Amino acid sequence: MGENEKPFNKIVEWLNEATSSTDPKLKTENIHKIQEIILNQNPHLLDSFLDDVIAFQSDRTMEVRRAVVGFIEESCKKDPAILPRVMDSLDLLLRDSAPQVQKRVVQAASQVYRGALMYIARTQPVPSQMEKAWSSLCTLKSEIVKLIDNDNDGIRTQSVKFLEGVVLLQTYPEADSMVRENDFNLEDIPLTLKIVRRRRLEEEASMIFNLLVKFHGEAHVSSVNLMTCMGSLTLIARMRPQFMGKVITCLENLNKNLPPTLSKSQVNSVRKHLKLQLTNMLKQPCALEYHAEILKLLTDLGCTPQEISKIMPKMDDKTRRSHKRAVVESAPSVHKRPRLEALYRPENVIEQPKRAHVTKPPAEPSSDVTEKFVLERLSPEVAAQLVLAFIPQIPDSMPSHFSSNFAPVVGAGSQAQIQHIAKMLLSQSSGSGRQMPRKSGRVLTELEEDDTEDANPPPPPTAIAPVAAPAVVSEPVMPPPPPPVEELMDHDGDDLEGPILHQRESSEQLLAQREKLKELTPMTPLTRPLKQKARALKLAEITRPLSPEMKTKMCLSAVKRILNAEKIAMFGGVNSIRNKIIVTLASTYNADVRRDILKFVLEDLQNRLDLELAISWLYEEYSMMQSFTKKPVFTTDEDSASKRYVKLFCALAEHLAEKPEREPLLKRLYLEAPCITDDATDILKALSCDETRCSIGLQLLQSLVIRRPPKQLTYLNALLEHTAHDSVEVRSNAMKCVLSLYDDRSDLRSIIEEYAIMYLGFLQLPAPPDVLFGAERGRPARADSWAEGPTKACLFLYLELLPHEHRLIHELTRVYVQTVADVKRIILRLLDTPVRGMGMDSPDLLKLVEDCPKGAETLVTRVIQILTDKTPPSAELVKRVRELYQSRVSDVRFLIPVLNGLTKREVIDSLPRLIKLNPIVVKEVFNRLLGTHSDSLSHNSPLTPAELLVALHVIDPKKCELKTVIKATTLCFSERQAYTQEVLAIVMKQLMEMNPLPTLLMRTVIQSLAAYPNLSGFVMNILQRLILKQVWTQRKVWEGFIKCCQRTKPQSFQVLLQLPAPQLQEVLEACPEMRQPLLQHVQSFTENQRSHVPQSVMDVLTGTRHVVQEEYDAQTVEPMSPDGLTIDVREDNIAENAVGSEPLPPGMD
Amino acid sequence: MLIRLEFYIKSDIKMPDKENLKLAVICSSNMNRSMEAHAFLSKKGYQVHSFGTGDKVKLPGTAPDRPNCYEFGTTYEEIYQDLLTKDRSFYTQNGLLHMLDRNRRIKNWPEKFQLSTEQFDVIFTCEERVYDQVVEWLSSRSPVDTASVHVINIDIQDNHEEATIGAFLFCELAALLTSSEDLDNDIDELLNDFETKCQRPIIHCVLFY
Repeated sequence: MGENEKPFNKIVEWLNEATSSTDPKLKTENIHKIQEIILNQNPHLLDSFLDDVIAFQSDRTMEVRRAVVGFIEESCKKDPAILPRVMDSLDLLLRDSAPQVQKRVVQAASQVYRGALMYIARTQPVPSQMEKAWSSLCTLKSEIVKLIDNDNDGIRTQSVKFLEGVVLLQTYPEADSMVRENDFNLEDIPLTLKIVRRRRLEEEASMIFNLLVKFHGEAHVSSVNLMTCMGSLTLIARMRPQFMGKVITCLENLNKNLPPTLSKSQVNSVRKHLKLQLTNMLKQPCALEYHAEILKLLTDLGCTPQEISKIMPKMDDKTRRSHKRAVVESAPSVHKRPRLEALYRPENVIEQPKRAHVTKPPAEPSSDVTEKFVLERLSPEVAAQLVLAFIPQIPDSMPSHFSSNFAPVVGAGSQAQIQHIAKMLLSQSSGSGRQMPRKSGRVLTELEEDDTEDANPPPPPTAIAPVAAPAVVSEPVMPPPPPPVEELMDHDGDDLEGPILHQRESSEQLLAQREKLKELTPMTPLTRPLKQKARALKLAEITRPLSPEMKTKMCLSAVKRILNAEKIAMFGGVNSIRNKIIVTLASTYNADVRRDILKFVLEDLQNRLDLELAISWLYEEYSMMQSFTKKPVFTTDEDSASKRYVKLFCALAEHLAEKPEREPLLKRLYLEAPCITDDATDILKALSCDETRCSIGLQLLQSLVIRRPPKQLTYLNALLEHTAHDSVEVRSNAMKCVLSLYDDRSDLRSIIEEYAIMYLGFLQLPAPPDVLFGAERGRPARADSWAEGPTKACLFLYLELLPHEHRLIHELTRVYVQTVADVKRIILRLLDTPVRGMGMDSPDLLKLVEDCPKGAETLVTRVIQILTDKTPPSAELVKRVRELYQSRVSDVRFLIPVLNGLTKREVIDSLPRLIKLNPIVVKEVFNRLLGTHSDSLSHNSPLTPAELLVALHVIDPKKCELKTVIKATTLCFSERQAYTQEVLAIVMKQLMEMNPLPTLLMRTVIQSLAAYPNLSGFVMNILQRLILKQVWTQRKVWEGFIKCCQRTKPQSFQVLLQLPAPQLQEVLEACPEMRQPLLQHVQSFTENQRSHVPQSVMDVLTGTRHVVQEEYDAQTVEPMSPDGLTIDVREDNIAENAVGSEPLPPGMD
Repeated sequence: MLIRLEFYIKSDIKMPDKENLKLAVICSSNMNRSMEAHAFLSKKGYQVHSFGTGDKVKLPGTAPDRPNCYEFGTTYEEIYQDLLTKDRSFYTQNGLLHMLDRNRRIKNWPEKFQLSTEQFDVIFTCEERVYDQVVEWLSSRSPVDTASVHVINIDIQDNHEEATIGAFLFCELAALLTSSEDLDNDIDELLNDFETKCQRPIIHCVLFY
């Protein structure tokens, strides 16, 4: 304990001292002391004091803040686990106002980043805190990446170094790469790690590497940065040989093209550094395959073969031999050069001042640079320009000395010849009093000003205008030779001043030329009179940027040329490359370029019905969106990648959707595109709404559901939406698609069902929901009530599904009971087809009937009715209905559809109630019972027509009003098909035999008679029998009897005469008009016949006797039977029991 | 405290004083040129170290083909005594003894740069070969942290007079460098100015520990 306390107290003391002190030096010192004590001696104290030390991060002195960064760095090195606690501080300090602190943070970041990566790779699982810290560390990293463009040189330097570290960490080493101790790389990162993926890291590394390469190649890079970057790149190349090739290209480029801003000594430093780096690289075994390039570079930089052979690593024989060859090849030329040089010198330049030909010694290599400078720019284009510029100055006739001197050009276009011409140009321009930029390879601008006579423009590739071409001997490329000694002596002294003097002299002239030149080659950076200061020349200051309009115009016309070059590209066999170029341009350049290319692509589509270009562009955008390819840094497009992808896709899709003949392409576009965005889906949806075009849209949606599982639901939803479309065409197409999906894809069934049920559920709402309306649904105007349209919309899909999935019917019942009357009515009407499709045997339907929820009676009835409409009910169904009727729902209407399935008894029992229903229903009932309207031959009614009529007659008047029964019987009579003469006769006979006589007996008799007058004989027979049964005892029947007799006179006279006298008296009193005819009838009798007529009867007839009148008086006073007994058959339309809120019972519709 | 007031920020910018800039002067043997500059710079108050980069400490002998060679680590005192015994008058004549006498009063022995682990902000080298060796060494060792160091070479001939001039040059340059608020940012320009002034070619680069 005491051991521990000592340093603890000490640290506390130092901390207090530092906090209270105002001396930054003391603070810094104390922080350093604490760091020392904690990290090197008492690591366990780190935890307690970390925050205290970090608190100094807001100290006002930069030095103290730097010390804090140092402390953080060291702590992280010691214990990476504390990273989460320091990330915020690092982040804060990176934004510090002092560049020194920022720099320090970047420097620390290298270590921290490495430490964190190692920690993560070692620690499994990674604590969540650490994960968070890692992600903020990654943010910090991207901040640092940005710092590479910082204004401060030092910060840039450190950033480059940081990036170097990242690249090394995040790439794989190879077998022959240089290994440093403690090297950590991708191979050390476990594959299983979630938060850092090897592939990601590697991608990032290569991106960063490219960034470094780009930085390295920048024109305005400072010498310090350039050397740092060079060093970093070489180190990367040595440790990660996969980058070697790129790095060497990079260094070659640098050597050819040193930044123009460097001063002389900086150029020297840079070249020296380059040499050193190359030397280092050469020692690496992995650089073997690049030896040729490296050696060439080294030679260019002025290395002697001796030096090179000293650097060359020890190699096996074979490689050494090849290496030797390289050396040998270069060596002799070195010695030969001066001699050859003299040979080359054409006569017309040989008089030039000697100094013009001076090649500087390797120690002063700047003229090499100059010559190289000319050489590199001596492209055929420039040559052509030069020739063109000189043509006006060519004399009309060939000068005589030309023809005598002229010799054809040998080896035109060879490297050696070009080099030679470069040399001559250089010498001529310096000879004509103009100084070539020596120090730093400054731009050569005066070339075109040369005299035609003197000038020796390189022959253009076609070589049609050989102007004073010198004799040239083709020669292999050679390194710059060591110059003759005397030359070296000659020019050692004025080397520095010379150029400056010349520069000043010609500066005015130069300015004028520059103006001229701007018109010719606007892109060429121009020089300003040279000062010896490095920062004197900043390219950005002296070049006038192109006007934005000009830039755009040039850019666009370049693009246009590429676009129009299709045929040429095809002939050249580079069509795919052209396509790639177009696609890259389109995806990486600005909006104008995109617009033009899009236009081209669309036209292309129109002409060729080929999607290739469009699809590849789409893929390019996609990979940018997914950041498979990195967005180039120069892109100025303000749209995000995803937005651009969407825009492009939509443009293509809209274009293709315009015309029906482009449908196949549209289909391809959607099926081949890497990703279909919401907007694209919307286009498809809109297309599907169009009645004439809907089938393509909907079919596409269907295909997408199948082929694009990730967004399956979106497409399915779109498809489903259209099943509720107002247009029949759209709807039926959509329905077809959905149903095929429903049948084929069991995984989608439940979704489709849910959707249907959701829509069905809408019906419970007080008013139709908004989703049903809108142009895209075919119902632009919103309705507030459940009109037919919206109601149907909610039902379409459901009803289509119903025959496929019977159990869905229960959903309907659930919803049905809660809907308003109008909706109910529509539902009932629409049920027909689906229910018929389900069939009577569907267990779900039977279950529905069995359960019959409260309020759903009408529905159930309707279902049963539909089922039994054309076919007789199955036993199962009857059983269910019967049970329901008996146990729960006593509405007799239930029974109607299944009447034919019931027993005779049941039918008869329910008759009283059935006939009470609305006449139309009754008619329906009778139709069923009588089978008159059913087409099926298998009609088997439980009741025969006769039985039915009889049953009607025996209905207990208590159960049913007579009037109702009368109406029912009337209905029967109207069914003449069923109630034939014979049937009625049977009925009457049966009725007659009953006791008591049915009240309506006589009415039926009369009706039968009315219907079939032929029955009169039979009726008479009946009447006589009635007399035997003392028909007068039943008042109503008696009245009927009388009426019947009245109607059937004169046949009835015979019957009347058989009545006992009092009854006859009664008859005659009821119908006095009968008396006379009856009397006459009797009087027409023969005597014998008359003797059979009792006296009493005769008395009655003659009116002589009035008997027993009183006996019946009381009875006559009795209330007469109702007017219902009126025999006249009239079509009464009483019923119509007000159509209330309930839907009409079955049969009304 | 996150919010610093304006004047705090201004107080931030302060000239790195002489003690804050860690200098090293390196020549081949850590005898003449580097020690001359070492002596001069430390007199001026700079924090300075000196090194040699050669394999051995070499001093001219009585004949051009017979130099005096010592291992790094041999003290100046020992070398002094050795030369004293070898040829006192000769070495007094050519100033070696005087030089060693000065050296032993500055530090104990010549130090080899490649054995040192110390870090510096600026390294002066006295000839291109030494510069090459320094760069070579610094870029081949495995990295410690990525602290940057400026390596600056001014060619100085290896004789007493030139060494003195060299010491002046280094001192002047050091003064120039310390005058900068942000050395990393300004060094290009400073060196350029200095080069123009002293008319000697300067080689410079940045390396990292």
